Amino acid sequence: MNDLKRLLEREAVRPLIGGAGLALDDGDFARFLGYCDDPFNYRIRVWSPDLKKDMTWLEHDREGLIELFKSLPEHLQRQGRLHRQVTVATVEPSNVDGFLVVTSPFVVHHTNLEGQTHTLAVGRYIDIVNMIDEKIVLTARDVMLDTRDLGIGLHVPI
Amino acid sequence: MSARSESSWEKVPRLPAGHFVSGLVYTDPDVYQDEIDNIFSKAWRFACHESELPEPFDYRLVDHAGQSLICIRGEDDEVRTFLNVCSHRGGKLLTEPSGNARLITCFYHRWTYDSLGACTGIPRPSGYSKEVAKDSMGLRGLRTAVKHGLVFIALDEGAPDLDTFIGLALDQFSEMLGTTLLEVFHYNRAVLDCNWKAWHETNMDLYHEFMHAVLRQTQVGAMPMEDRRLITFENGHGGSGGDLKAAYDGYKSFAGRGGDVPPLPGTDPTDFRFVDLFPSTAIIARGTVVRIDTATPLGPDKTLLEMRGLGVKGESQEHRQARQRHHNQYWGPFGRNVPEDMIAAEACADSFRNQAGRYQIIARDENLTGQDDAILRAFYKEWGDRTGRDPGNPIDPATA
Ligand code: FES
Ligand SMILES: [Fe+2]
Repeated sequence: MNDLKRLLEREAVRPLIGGAGLALDDGDFARFLGYCDDPFNYRIRVWSPDLKKDMTWLEHDREGLIELFKSLPEHLQRQGRLHRQVTVATVEPSNVDGFLVVTSPFVVHHTNLEGQTHTLAVGRYIDIVNMIDEKIVLTARDVMLDTRDLGIGLHVPI
Repeated sequence: MSARSESSWEKVPRLPAGHFVSGLVYTDPDVYQDEIDNIFSKAWRFACHESELPEPFDYRLVDHAGQSLICIRGEDDEVRTFLNVCSHRGGKLLTEPSGNARLITCFYHRWTYDSLGACTGIPRPSGYSKEVAKDSMGLRGLRTAVKHGLVFIALDEGAPDLDTFIGLALDQFSEMLGTTLLEVFHYNRAVLDCNWKAWHETNMDLYHEFMHAVLRQTQVGAMPMEDRRLITFENGHGGSGGDLKAAYDGYKSFAGRGGDVPPLPGTDPTDFRFVDLFPSTAIIARGTVVRIDTATPLGPDKTLLEMRGLGVKGESQEHRQARQRHHNQYWGPFGRNVPEDMIAAEACADSFRNQAGRYQIIARDENLTGQDDAILRAFYKEWGDRTGRDPGNPIDPATA
């Protein structure tokens, strides 16, 4: 029974993580937020071998992300398209009932307006997934970046 | 009026000298080599913040003029700098970007050095004549000086001392940087496809406030342009000559910024001040948080940028988080401003790379107020003095 439950959880999580990635790739932020809980917390974290410290490079709650997405058309942004290759690696129960910890390595490729693609970033998503309600959603996402040189950077979540 | 003809486009601008710059300063390999030889190998340059070396034997690697340097705090607490090169056969000594090295051991034949740069060990020394002995085989030391917690280095032993070089340029930061212990909490590097000056110009050019959505909404109208004060200094430095103001409410998600953490000493949450140190370091403070960025040339068309964000050492986690938030609003790889500046630097590099763009105009004259280009002109004046080239015509046809 437990094994079956775990299997079902894993199956349920895959389209959540994958779908959220595709929504970000498409720049469809409303759709991305549809995969996120309310409240939701998003962070990009990086270990600095230079400072020997953890750094936080972006942190927003749901409202903060909504404001960010609203402001994007006013900003000068990296052009082209991002492509996230996300693999759900592990799905574990969290220490809070009904929540799962999902770890997914990712690679983000950038394709520029000339059609050339290069690797922009690699890292892991550490997601807290809420399985309590019928709708399975992301309650928190920590993006643990390995890549620290992001060239001209980004205005949007990884 | 119509589009410009070939001759109009290529003609030297009818502007006073110093009010325009030839695109060749960004692309010509001889100009670039002159910059390495006469600017980066000669002038003082920011290397790191003292807080990055808190304990004896703590070190930090620094990229400078194509060379790797070791900044290390000695057992006597003094910060020194050495080339990261073994005296024996050139082995690169340290590879981790920071750490603690009581003894620096070369991986290759195990020669050792101490934090004062002395050679302390040569395995089987008997095989050498007396010319190769510990006493004469220390590391190459560089001049190092610390001002307001900022560690500066100079390759040139004949350069005037740091205080002479800086002059009054850091005075507006002396209280902020010099009276409270600060600490670096943010560090990131980015290699850009542009000349180092194209980056540094984004720091010196106020007119490009119009490019940034945040600055259009919080800064351009926050105080009358004619009340702004800019200042230029000896040796090519420039900056704000009094605080500029920001009105955060103009940008919705910044509203209330600064209410959650005390500002840095001598400033107000809505103050904006900056100094651009020749050749390529900018210090920018926005009330609660300060950024230091340095551009290191890697080639005419490649630049290493290093960005640091600083808060108060030992402050509560809550205050640190607030400062980090304020930092990230503008700066860092996901800030609202910094990526836009990087896009600008690379976009202009694209135009000058194949000489489509011929000149850039730095001719705004606003009596050191508003969005005057005076800081850019002061920079290029120093650049010309040091390279012996005219920024408006760097490849003199008579000598080319
Ligand atoms: S190169 Fe360093 S010990 Fe030989
Ligand atoms: Fe800018």
